[in-house]
Amino acid sequence: MENLDAARLQMAFTLIFHIVFACIGMVMPFFMVVSHYKWLKTKNQVYLTLTKAWQKGVAIFFVTGAVSGTALSFELGLLWPEFMKHAGPIIGMPFSLEGAAFFIEAIALGFYLYGWNKLPEKFHWFTGVIIGLSGVASGILVVAANGWMNSPSGFDYIDGQFLNIDPVQAMLNPAWFTQALHMTLAAFTATGFAVAGIHAYQVYKGKRVDLHTKAFNIAVTFGAIAAILQPLSGDISAKNIAERQPVKLAAMEAHYNTERGAPLYIGGIVNPKTQEVNYKIAIPGMLSFLAFGDFDAEVKGLNDFPEDERPNVPIVHYAFQTMVGIGGMLMLAGLLYFISLKKKQWFKNKKYWLFFVALAPLGFIALEAGWIVTEVGRQPWIIHKIMKTRDAVTPMPGIVFSFYMYILVYLTLSVAVTWLMIRQIKVLNAKK
Amino acid sequence: MLYVVLFFLMFSLYLYVVLGGADYGAGIVELFSSEENQKITKKTIYRVMGPVWEANHIWIIILIVILWIAFPAYYNILVVHLHIPLTIVLLGVTLRGVAFVFRHYDAIIDNSQKLYDIMFKISSLITPIFLGMVFGALISGKIQLTDDISNLTFYEAFVKPWLNVFSFLVGLFFAALCAFLSAVLLIGESVQGEENIYIRKATIATVVVFVIGLLTFIYGYVNEYMFVNIFIKDLYAVSAMVISGLLLIPLWLTIKKGRRVLSRLFAGLQVFLILIAALIPHFPNIIITETHGVSLLKNIAPDSVINVLGVSLTIGGAIIIPGLFHLLKSFKMIKILDQHNNPSI
Repeated sequence: MENLDAARLQMAFTLIFHIVFACIGMVMPFFMVVSHYKWLKTKNQVYLTLTKAWQKGVAIFFVTGAVSGTALSFELGLLWPEFMKHAGPIIGMPFSLEGAAFFIEAIALGFYLYGWNKLPEKFHWFTGVIIGLSGVASGILVVAANGWMNSPSGFDYIDGQFLNIDPVQAMLNPAWFTQALHMTLAAFTATGFAVAGIHAYQVYKGKRVDLHTKAFNIAVTFGAIAAILQPLSGDISAKNIAERQPVKLAAMEAHYNTERGAPLYIGGIVNPKTQEVNYKIAIPGMLSFLAFGDFDAEVKGLNDFPEDERPNVPIVHYAFQTMVGIGGMLMLAGLLYFISLKKKQWFKNKKYWLFFVALAPLGFIALEAGWIVTEVGRQPWIIHKIMKTRDAVTPMPGIVFSFYMYILVYLTLSVAVTWLMIRQIKVLNAKK
Repeated sequence: MLYVVLFFLMFSLYLYVVLGGADYGAGIVELFSSEENQKITKKTIYRVMGPVWEANHIWIIILIVILWIAFPAYYNILVVHLHIPLTIVLLGVTLRGVAFVFRHYDAIIDNSQKLYDIMFKISSLITPIFLGMVFGALISGKIQLTDDISNLTFYEAFVKPWLNVFSFLVGLFFAALCAFLSAVLLIGESVQGEENIYIRKATIATVVVFVIGLLTFIYGYVNEYMFVNIFIKDLYAVSAMVISGLLLIPLWLTIKKGRRVLSRLFAGLQVFLILIAALIPHFPNIIITETHGVSLLKNIAPDSVINVLGVSLTIGGAIIIPGLFHLLKSFKMIKILDQHNNPSI
């Protein structure tokens, strides 16, 4: 394996894992404080049990998120030293603010976990809110840094030199808002449905139905609201990408030839050799409309760009289809949940619970697929139109070994965390 | 503003060495304890470190982020030439953090605890050794800089800088220092009757720190390491070392009298002096290569970046430092109350 490929795979692999841990660590505190709030309001013991169970989850995911995040902060430099040498000073600002937000989160978590019966009730609850808010702030800041790679700004690029650096403008690059909005909603959707699914399974099995139904309701409400809002954010993102990175949009839709009234492809198998998409459903004019708000607008095709500046089309296209497909499904599931609140008899139906169990992993699959669209879709650039990924990679050979090591460690870690969560639930169900 | 940034760089380095160091040291102390004392130590560590250990380790992230934003050229040398030991450090940080949480949050307590304990203890030892080796590599004079790295063999470019006796001695020195810090901390946190365990550990750690430190210097002097030669001629560095050594006397007096806050201050001051001694003689040339020093201040980021960073660090610091202080303080206060109300704890 070439060094570049190994480095890219290692980065992808560690990011894929970190994203899961980070999202759960970012969103679960909100579930926890809602349950905690209900406990303070109603003094119903079930909410206290649930809050304490979720707090353990938050602690475990916070730490796995933190350590995998520490690893990433090093890996950026270890794998892409040339990138960091130039980009580090420019996009340092969101990272330094993220460090601060993360610090506040860790401090708040210390207060929250160890503050039961020691801190004043309301202050204690409030430290939980801080955990959630600073977690979301961290997420937004990191995504802003990624946005800069897609839409570099805040400097002048003259003769291979980055001059007149403006870190604030770099942070507030044209992509930061759309990406941060899309990712925050995605984190809530994915975590909401994942946690809801786990509790739905317990209800399905008939274990502590009272507790798990309450847990399900809190989690799925967050997930459902986020999933219903997500298509709007997706639309803003699509229009933004059409303007900034037309080649990425073309790859997402496997759209090879520039045309007016471009159709939207749903599904399909891409054949990069013949530049055809087989077995697809085509909606005429729809791509033009989604990208530019006009059914007749011109959408640039991949062939308008030099061959060595195009991403891997099939990967980006399939990932995009997966993301949109699942996103649509979860939106419908979210609507279904709100309807079910009016039709209480559904809650007695086992199939209702099984349906939500089946949805559990989908949000995260969509979320990962979305990141594949963003990251693979930017290739061959590490900084869009400025620096190629292959020029940024470390000169140290043999990265493939470190890649294998990371696979081993992270896979073990995820098995261990899953196993730990199963044990948590077992003990929770055994408690009376 | 550059001075503000430098201040925060040194500040986070110092806090990482002291707080992170005490945290690693806790695992080292546990590793070198009898089976019975290990159980006691495990409980004490959880009580003492539980609320704060995550915050302790964020200092290294702050340190890295400041390095890459403000001192990109310097950071570049670090990540290219010391890729391997840094990766091992990361592995250690990961396994250690995970093991700490697993052993305290696993809902079922069974044999898997043994595995978590081993993971925790071993990575607590390995990680600071490699961190020390990274610093040792920076000052060992074995890093070779060239315009075209492909002129060097893999060994010359990526292994030789850190895999040598001198760096290894520096690594051991740092690990011993961690154990020393932690033992001093644990003396004040232990329950009555158990403090003797940690007084003994602190004594052993002090001797080990001294012996390894001396060995490092002798080895460096005999082999004519540039770092050692500059060091022994530098008045500030030598006096810092001497004062650090002399502080052992008030340290032991305060420990004997049970003045735990004061004893920690002395230990912290000692480490501060050691750090000063290690950096000041060749500052700002914090990398020493075969032929010359590489200045931290060479090719730094432009003023606009340094200014924004300085402002963000000041604002961030103004929010975080009181919060952190409050966290450390409130749990200490709470602990005293607990013991007062319930002497059996």
